[in-house]
Amino acid sequence: MDRIRRMETYTGSIRQTALPAEFRCAVTLGVDFDGPSHEVGRGIAPVGTHSWGRYSARCGIPRHLEMLTRQGVPCTFFVPGYDAQCHPDTIHAIHAAGFEVAAHGYLHEAWDLGAEEETKLLHQTDDILRQLIGEPIQGWRSPSGRKTANTMRVLKAMGYLYDSSDKDYDLPYRLRFGSKDDCIIELPNNTYSLDDFPFFKFSFTPPSEVLAQWKSEFDAIYDAERFMVLTVHPRSGWGSGTPARTWILEQMISYMKGHAGVRFFSSAGFARWCLDNPQCLEEITVP
Amino acid sequence: MKAFPWPADMRCAVFVSVNFDAEAYDLKSTTEDRLFGRFSYGRYGVRAGLPRLLKMLERRDIAATAFVTAGDAKRHPDAVRALREGGHEIASRGLDLAPLPSLGTSEREVLRRARDTLADIAGSAPVGFRAAGGELGPNTLQHLTELGFTYDSSFQDDDHPYVFAPTPSSRLVELPTVSSLDDSLVYSARHTHARVMKIWREEFDALYRENCLVPLTLHLRGDVGSTRAARIAALEELLAYIASKPGVRFMTGAELTEMTLAASLPTEPDPFAQHAATLSVTPYRGDLAVKPL
Repeated sequence: MDRIRRMETYTGSIRQTALPAEFRCAVTLGVDFDGPSHEVGRGIAPVGTHSWGRYSARCGIPRHLEMLTRQGVPCTFFVPGYDAQCHPDTIHAIHAAGFEVAAHGYLHEAWDLGAEEETKLLHQTDDILRQLIGEPIQGWRSPSGRKTANTMRVLKAMGYLYDSSDKDYDLPYRLRFGSKDDCIIELPNNTYSLDDFPFFKFSFTPPSEVLAQWKSEFDAIYDAERFMVLTVHPRSGWGSGTPARTWILEQMISYMKGHAGVRFFSSAGFARWCLDNPQCLEEITVP
Repeated sequence: MKAFPWPADMRCAVFVSVNFDAEAYDLKSTTEDRLFGRFSYGRYGVRAGLPRLLKMLERRDIAATAFVTAGDAKRHPDAVRALREGGHEIASRGLDLAPLPSLGTSEREVLRRARDTLADIAGSAPVGFRAAGGELGPNTLQHLTELGFTYDSSFQDDDHPYVFAPTPSSRLVELPTVSSLDDSLVYSARHTHARVMKIWREEFDALYRENCLVPLTLHLRGDVGSTRAARIAALEELLAYIASKPGVRFMTGAELTEMTLAASLPTEPDPFAQHAATLSVTPYRGDLAVKPL
């Protein structure tokens, strides 16, 4: 707490998000479904070597569900609308196992969209997911990290509590994009360090070394910002659905659980906590 | 989690496959008159690599499956026959390494010619197929069944063999591979062989724990393949480790296919049809990829 007070002094009138002493570190786990939508959205048939996304529903998600249930921790599954249409039973299984289903684009759009098309696709995916699970969707993560000023307005209008796409901070904050109620909870993520795909797509790092890397990341976070957002993908290829990679994810969860005061939240659960504790949260305004 | 009905004495199957990819690979970048210098790594695989690999597999008593293009088979008929005489399976990899979707209406004829060439050289028609670059056209699976193939090994979407029904009455077994167990990708990232073996041992341990298919994909080439002396020594050590585990059985693609068909698994729908309508209205953005800065 001493450190946080010092930071308040340093940053002058801007109050920094301060998590309470009641939990030493908040962890949110995210599984970005990334099924065949990833290839189909780019005009590639998900067959042959491009079938990695098929692995998500066939093997990766069932393996992750089993592991997460064994570990007894919450997790949020960010699902492209197209993948949900292709694999409705898998979405039902995620929901039935008690995990959060959130939105992640329609065809995993990894390109710039105009406001009109973006709005249409956000609503389309929301409709698909909501009808499948019979409950409101509460959060969104951009596929590929692209996002515009329009995005937050649409998410807010659909009743979403949070976005988890910005890369600009280590702590959650309230992102204001207009007046009055025009704000949304931002749970920033980092797709270079706290994500599986850079290691498995570019550097082919051995799973045990990825585990060591994530432990090191966690150690630093546990002693400082106390907020960890870890993202994996259930596909084959550059994802973590396969046995060795799900194994290190389980080891990572065990490692974090072994630290005093660590509390796991679903992304919506943590966003709800942020809304319930507004005095703890820094607010920033984006023009 | 899905399981595969391995026989009672088995915990997992190890499918050692060899993508022959000699000059066929170099010819993707250059012409026949320039297969020298940097474009001779493919020839290394045949001259230096294959004899070394054959001896090692014989020492370990492992039967592998070699996927060979018709072009490479014509350039190296003795190498194909040596594989055959070593007890290994010869399977098809097309005419050359041109992606099948680029062949248009000639695809079926190309697949047929490749099959016939391989049959002439190897002495019997291949039953297995692996596409160049893993690229399949919308009708490839149907063509394969019509041409007498019983399995494909181009997908990367499952932990176990499974069965397609390209037409209501036909069956085509799929033996999916996984990129982390493909030597060419990891060696392309310029890793040491010690690091590659570290990855593979971790991958194998986890697959073995979960009774999965272990699809080990090797190349002969001198650049991204596994046949240089130091690499093959490291590989042999790993194979000895794998073989020391109870319930491990090394199997060829044809053997796995026979076992899979005998298991009478439910068949899978056409993997293309479900996406055909969306693909028909989606522009190609395949050049979109996250690249390192």
